[in-house]
Amino acid sequence: MIETFQNLFLGFSIALQPGVLLYAVVGCVVGTLVGMMPGLGPLAGISLLLPITFGLNPTVAIVLLAGIYYGAMYGGSTTSILMRLPGEAASVMTCIDGYAMTKKGRGGAALAIAAIGSFVGGTLSLVALMLIAPPLADFALRFGPPEYTALLMLGLLVLAYMSGGSMAKTLAMATLGLLLGTVGIDTMTGFLRFQYGIIDLGDGLGVVPVVVGLFGISEILLTMGGASTATVRKPTLAEMLPTRTEMRESVGPIGRGSVLGFIIGIIPGSAHIVSSFASYAIERRVAKRPEEFGQGAVAGVAGPETANNSAACGAFVPMLALGVPSGPIPAVMLAALMVHGVSPGPLLIEQQPGLFWGFIASMYVGNVVLLILNLPLIGVFLWLLRIPFPYLYPLILVFCLLGVYAVNQSVVDVWIMVAVRGCRGHRDAESGAADLPPARLAPSHGVGDEQRRLGRPMRPFGPVRISFPRTGPLFLP
Amino acid sequence: MKRLASAMIGLALLLPATIAAQEYPTRPITMVVPFPPGGVADQTARPTASAMEKLLRQPVVVSNRPGAAGAVGISVAANARPDGYTILMALSSISVIPEADKLFGRQPAYQLNQLTPIALITADPTILVVPADSPWKTLADFVADAKKRPGEISYSSSGVYSTLHLAMEMFASAADIKLKHVPFNGAGPALTSLLGGHVQALASGPGVVVPHIEAGKLRPLANWGAARVAALPDVPTFQELGYKDVEFYIWAGLFAPAQTPAPLIGKLRDITRAAVNDAEFLGTLKNMQTPRAYLDAPEFQKFLDKDAARLAEAVKRIGKVE
Repeated sequence: MIETFQNLFLGFSIALQPGVLLYAVVGCVVGTLVGMMPGLGPLAGISLLLPITFGLNPTVAIVLLAGIYYGAMYGGSTTSILMRLPGEAASVMTCIDGYAMTKKGRGGAALAIAAIGSFVGGTLSLVALMLIAPPLADFALRFGPPEYTALLMLGLLVLAYMSGGSMAKTLAMATLGLLLGTVGIDTMTGFLRFQYGIIDLGDGLGVVPVVVGLFGISEILLTMGGASTATVRKPTLAEMLPTRTEMRESVGPIGRGSVLGFIIGIIPGSAHIVSSFASYAIERRVAKRPEEFGQGAVAGVAGPETANNSAACGAFVPMLALGVPSGPIPAVMLAALMVHGVSPGPLLIEQQPGLFWGFIASMYVGNVVLLILNLPLIGVFLWLLRIPFPYLYPLILVFCLLGVYAVNQSVVDVWIMVAVRGCRGHRDAESGAADLPPARLAPSHGVGDEQRRLGRPMRPFGPVRISFPRTGPLFLP
Repeated sequence: MKRLASAMIGLALLLPATIAAQEYPTRPITMVVPFPPGGVADQTARPTASAMEKLLRQPVVVSNRPGAAGAVGISVAANARPDGYTILMALSSISVIPEADKLFGRQPAYQLNQLTPIALITADPTILVVPADSPWKTLADFVADAKKRPGEISYSSSGVYSTLHLAMEMFASAADIKLKHVPFNGAGPALTSLLGGHVQALASGPGVVVPHIEAGKLRPLANWGAARVAALPDVPTFQELGYKDVEFYIWAGLFAPAQTPAPLIGKLRDITRAAVNDAEFLGTLKNMQTPRAYLDAPEFQKFLDKDAARLAEAVKRIGKVE
């Protein structure tokens, strides 16, 4: 334990060097801006900016990338809350109650709670990462395709439970989402499903175009059509700060979200999308007034946002402890290290203590930077809402198109986004703030897509029986 | 005055044509990478592009066009205007995708003859690794055990007909053994599943497996290359062990659209030859523990023909996976 703190001290001595600190701050700022762009989430952000780091030294490069990553995670919540424009599947949950809060004039409070929740979740899971990474990483690797499938199924069950409304609608939307997730190459056979000769569909329908199409584009078109009430909101100082009740209501969700997010986050894959809707479902389950969910419940923002950021940090556990690319984002980070001649592997912590502890310390620093960056900026963000719609919405539409195109430089992605928007009826925005269909379609598509990628390889393992005591790596026979 | 003006206009109109032939390039060149940033292709493309930039005095812009295991980006380059301003950094899989399309009777995303090779840049042999706690100490142990229980020993790969899959099948067919294939979506999950104990073997590049070998988690059994790898001097090659035709590399090479004029291809070849001797380029390669394997267009073409034939045969032998 003492050794850990000595190491952490070493880490801080590196992370607080002016040169390194500067890059951490730059990373956070750039990441926040990237995250605010609709369509550009953390993965797209660090992939696009990865080449910039090739000229830097490895510690600075990884600190910068971590800053961008964290910043994008924070930034993503801003547009979700204020404009119902999620940048990725994980922010869909934040949209539901966050946007409802904005409509009630509590947008500033929602932003503040999201920032605080992200800070707490990120910091707590860092502590866990630092103290128990190696044993946890070994455990995380035991999650094979069958276990992963089980987790995704859990995610689907939770989804059905998410908020009130008709069960028939929910199941129909979840099924449609899963069907959309089957588009693309079948991992087991190499067969291209529902591809219609369009090469770009070989990888399936991207999660980003689907989410931006269902939420962002729809929101803009509905507003333009006059279906929503387009009033310019003038935030006051009181609106920016959470009330005491709101703070008290978010303590529990933040605590639960931190733990839940970290546990789901360490599992290899992109399971963090499950973390945000599992958190949402749990909060609704334990809430005293579950009927508030979908109408601007504070817990509906605090829980998922915290879980999301906590999971983001948990994803680094297998990467740092074992040098395993445990998900798309750690894979990009590892690639960055390899370019710098640091061979990521189980010996990373021993061979490169400066890098490892510098990275850990800079994530602490990054969390603090983002908190001080985001709280005062809430005013600025809210000011965006004062821009008259005739100017603001076309601008957002352009950003949506640009953002979705930029991820893969693919026009097909832009068409997917536009086509998916058509799946959504014109009237459903009026059917209540919970907005059932898109809020269920998008995550279930994400789950279906993940299953196609990482769950399908369970087939060669044969029939799965849950067995105790376990005989396989986790509970596989 | 008038005459001077018209002469100047005439000259101005003539200039671009002559410059285009002699002073190529006059504008930035795009290097298409059909994989996301951070992958093998991207890691090779960026140092190559920056070394070429210095020599060409024009930017060489790396453009990542990922999708469908590389098919999207490759077909973008294959159908690009053959004016020397679009080049492609592709991997071994370039010859596999049309074969798989043929197998399924699909409209091919591109044909190999739509591209002409410029130079081979790197070629890493794959290494056969098993968990350090597995009973197989040598390749002979592994083969003997696999013969005893066909289809029971499993291995992971980065996908059906992926390079890692084909390498393994090439070996399995030469050794006359049957292994169970567990395909994943990418080399990362394939490694994770081996380390997590879900599968028992994996073929992957030295850059990926060496750190885990050094950490005592994995044990190398054999190497697909023609020569031993510097980082693993004790690991024999398949050829040393008597598997004469088992040879495989994850290579990265530069291509241009097939109709690109010969003088421009010549210039690109010259520039690439010089670029691979650039000190900074070599430094980056050394950092990545990837040796340079430069081959100029004619030799690269020969290498490619042989490699493509070997991989096509492997794809046919695997056939459709039910």
